[in-house]
Amino acid sequence: MGLLQVRILISLLCLGLMLCSSPLVAAKNFVNLDEKNSDEEPLRIAVAANFAPTLRKLLARYNSDQKAFIKPLIIVASSGTLFLQIQHGASFDLFLSADSERPQLLIETDLAFKASQQTYAYGQLALWSAINDITLDPLIALKNNEQRLAIANPKIAPYGKAAKQVLESLQQWGDYKTRLIQGINIGQTFQQTRSQAVNLGIVSNSQLVLNNLKGVLIPTRLHQPIKQQLVILKRSQNSQQAKHFVKFLMNEKSQQFIAQSGYAKLSEVEEKIKGEVKGEVNTHE
Amino acid sequence: MADLSINVMVEHDDFFLSINEEISLTGITGIFGHSGSGKSTLLKVIAGLENHAQGKLVINDLLARDALIDSEAKIFVAPQQRNIGLVFQNSRLFPHLTVEENLRYGQKRRKNTSVNKPLDFAEIVVLTKLDNLLSKSVAQLSGGEQQRVALARALLAEPRLLLLDEPLSALDDKNKSLMLILLDKVQKQLNLPMLYVSHSLAEIQQLANNLLVLSSGKVTHYGDIHQVIHQLTTNNEILHQTSLSLTMKGHLAEYGLTSLVLGDQQILMPLNQQIESDANTNTSIRCIIAASDISVTLHEPSESSIVNHLQGTITSFEPCKSQVLLTVNCSGQDFFVNITAWSAQRLSLIVDQKVFIQFKANSVRTLR
Amino acid sequence: MNSTPPDILALITTLKMAGITTIILMLIGTPLAWFLAKMKSRGKVFIEALVALPLVLPPTVLGFYLLLLFSPQYLPGQIWQETTGQQLAFSFSAIVIGSVLYSLPFVVQPLQKAFEQLGDDLLEAAAMLGASALDRFFTIVLPITKASFITAASLGFAHTVGEFGVVLMIGGNIPGETRVLSIALFDHVEAFDYAQAHIISISLVISSLVLLSLIYLLNRPNKSRLKSSKPVTSQPALPDSVISKRQK
Repeated sequence: MGLLQVRILISLLCLGLMLCSSPLVAAKNFVNLDEKNSDEEPLRIAVAANFAPTLRKLLARYNSDQKAFIKPLIIVASSGTLFLQIQHGASFDLFLSADSERPQLLIETDLAFKASQQTYAYGQLALWSAINDITLDPLIALKNNEQRLAIANPKIAPYGKAAKQVLESLQQWGDYKTRLIQGINIGQTFQQTRSQAVNLGIVSNSQLVLNNLKGVLIPTRLHQPIKQQLVILKRSQNSQQAKHFVKFLMNEKSQQFIAQSGYAKLSEVEEKIKGEVKGEVNTHE
Repeated sequence: MADLSINVMVEHDDFFLSINEEISLTGITGIFGHSGSGKSTLLKVIAGLENHAQGKLVINDLLARDALIDSEAKIFVAPQQRNIGLVFQNSRLFPHLTVEENLRYGQKRRKNTSVNKPLDFAEIVVLTKLDNLLSKSVAQLSGGEQQRVALARALLAEPRLLLLDEPLSALDDKNKSLMLILLDKVQKQLNLPMLYVSHSLAEIQQLANNLLVLSSGKVTHYGDIHQVIHQLTTNNEILHQTSLSLTMKGHLAEYGLTSLVLGDQQILMPLNQQIESDANTNTSIRCIIAASDISVTLHEPSESSIVNHLQGTITSFEPCKSQVLLTVNCSGQDFFVNITAWSAQRLSLIVDQKVFIQFKANSVRTLR
Repeated sequence: MNSTPPDILALITTLKMAGITTIILMLIGTPLAWFLAKMKSRGKVFIEALVALPLVLPPTVLGFYLLLLFSPQYLPGQIWQETTGQQLAFSFSAIVIGSVLYSLPFVVQPLQKAFEQLGDDLLEAAAMLGASALDRFFTIVLPITKASFITAASLGFAHTVGEFGVVLMIGGNIPGETRVLSIALFDHVEAFDYAQAHIISISLVISSLVLLSLIYLLNRPNKSRLKSSKPVTSQPALPDSVISKRQK
């Protein structure tokens, strides 16, 4: 290769290196440019990928509703990635996870305030096909499906774990076990289903709502509630602002908005939890 | 009579070769030319290594008449099927094989179409003096040894025609002479026609009986070697010289001289013991005498240290600036003589005049 | 299959994928490298760039486009489905095809360099001794460039074993089919199962080191090698791209 070609190759290689860094540090940084306030430190919000679009809309509402003004720095990645980053010193203020285990672990390791732990949304599963619209009842559709099914990896993704619980409730887990396409997170599952490479997928309803697609809701009674919890991190320099925002997030209007964005209706879920609390210990795997 | 009918054309970026000639394939044919004359290209065309050759190339040997190239009929025979051997300037021995394995490489792939019985491996090894080298690796050989292996390898493939592309260029003088003797021997023993390309006319003159001269991609001369050299001299294309093949009469060992027969006269040259003389056959020696080494006298010299005096007649007189090129015929052999115009005038030399030519024994040059 | 521990299964799947990929790559990479080595026209540079593309493209880019192509939406996926009756996306065949594309330069470049170094001289001599093209390849080219073949195969194999991005996109994480070691490793990390993660990682590091040491050992200038009259040796050259990438 000539010298010029070598140089081009090296530049492209550096570019490639930056782009294809391992998932461990592959968080996307998104800077909100509209509200620039050079004096103030931004509020660093680490959010699980599936909630990010909703979060952005909520932030917009906050800034138009409230008197106080937030300049947010939103970090979007999978809950697992963000969790690891926090463990290794990332200076976030607020962490919105897609599950409840990770916030719990952060509290146990003294990285987050116990008082701040709360469920901000409940995940809603939907059955979706990018090939044919599903007209049947989802349970029947799942039963009838002889081909493969896309779910998120139950071991590492909360939506995947719930999907597994659904299949177990329907006594279909053994049948489906060898026919699963497992994505590393619910985002990939959605993408895989969308590619039509697999007929059917159990995705997050919020993704369908966001993209204006029509799927069939899977009854929440079939699985443990997908508790998406948040915590305020002890390392935060901005905890006041964080608290304020959390309060806004948890108010009724916001919660309604969240439900409309494709998350489970709070009332339904609360009923189920009440039913469980009677006899069971709240388990987290 | 075997021959090679060449009617080909090769066009490269800035080079154009166009040959239309029929070359007889007996003995060794030399191909001479300066750099860029096209001689190596011609060899490649015959070998099949030149893909851009167009036209017709037909080899006519005792067994068959094969078209190797026929552009009209879309025929182009691949080199491995032409049954033609090639000894390159660099030996191109296979580094991962021993000497013996290199030799066997050709033998294993021979075409077996010869009327003669297959060549005996041992015979060729002895002929090329490779007996002690068979188990060696290629890296352990000297330059001369490598070329001998290359030659033997090509021979063992039993080609019907052997091409040699400047095979001696990379060798030192001593090895050059040895190879020349070997090539001559091989040719005679195997009766294998050869085409020998070189930019050294001296080399070719020692071996070839025919000479093809190329210049700028075209044939300028073809014929008997002595005659062509004669023509080249006459045309001032080469240094004026006389090229001869004479029979050896005997040695005068105590004087360090060898005697050659020229009609009823004789020529003495420095003793050449490398020539193996057989009492029954008359060994022929090829030699060259530069025209500038010969002088002319009107009367027979009687007491001169110069040993060679030959009587002859001037047959041509060519003035050339301050020089004159004379052709003097002695006992049927033309000799070229360069003298100053001044001497020519002083001696009043004219055509048909009887004169004596003189030259020292050392002027009679041979490569062997 | 159910009784095999999942990571052993991932190992077997990885070895199968890397093994088959390497075989395919040697079969198509050799003629491609030969073709490039002998090619003289200007188009050569373009084809070389195309072959080298996987060196600089993020694996996720390649995986992304392959996922689309393999899905029934597009022609390649459709053709596959029609001829084999199976779906191409999320299958073992898919990750083999992806690996072949992604590891191609690692096989082609060392071979091409070796063929170029060999030159034409010895091959012309062999032809004049009656050897056909195939004969010349097996009796001259192969023995002399042997070490480069081993290098190419080893690099192709090692690179495929380490592959993550492409398999992540087009694999679907199916145990026994597309769940390879690199994916298994990722799963363990995500699930906080660090003990298993360490085991897999350390094994991969050790085996890669061993393999690479073998490659570099073979590529050392060896003084006892035979030399010909031409400066052609059997010493294979690692292409610069490989050297710089391995220094990553």
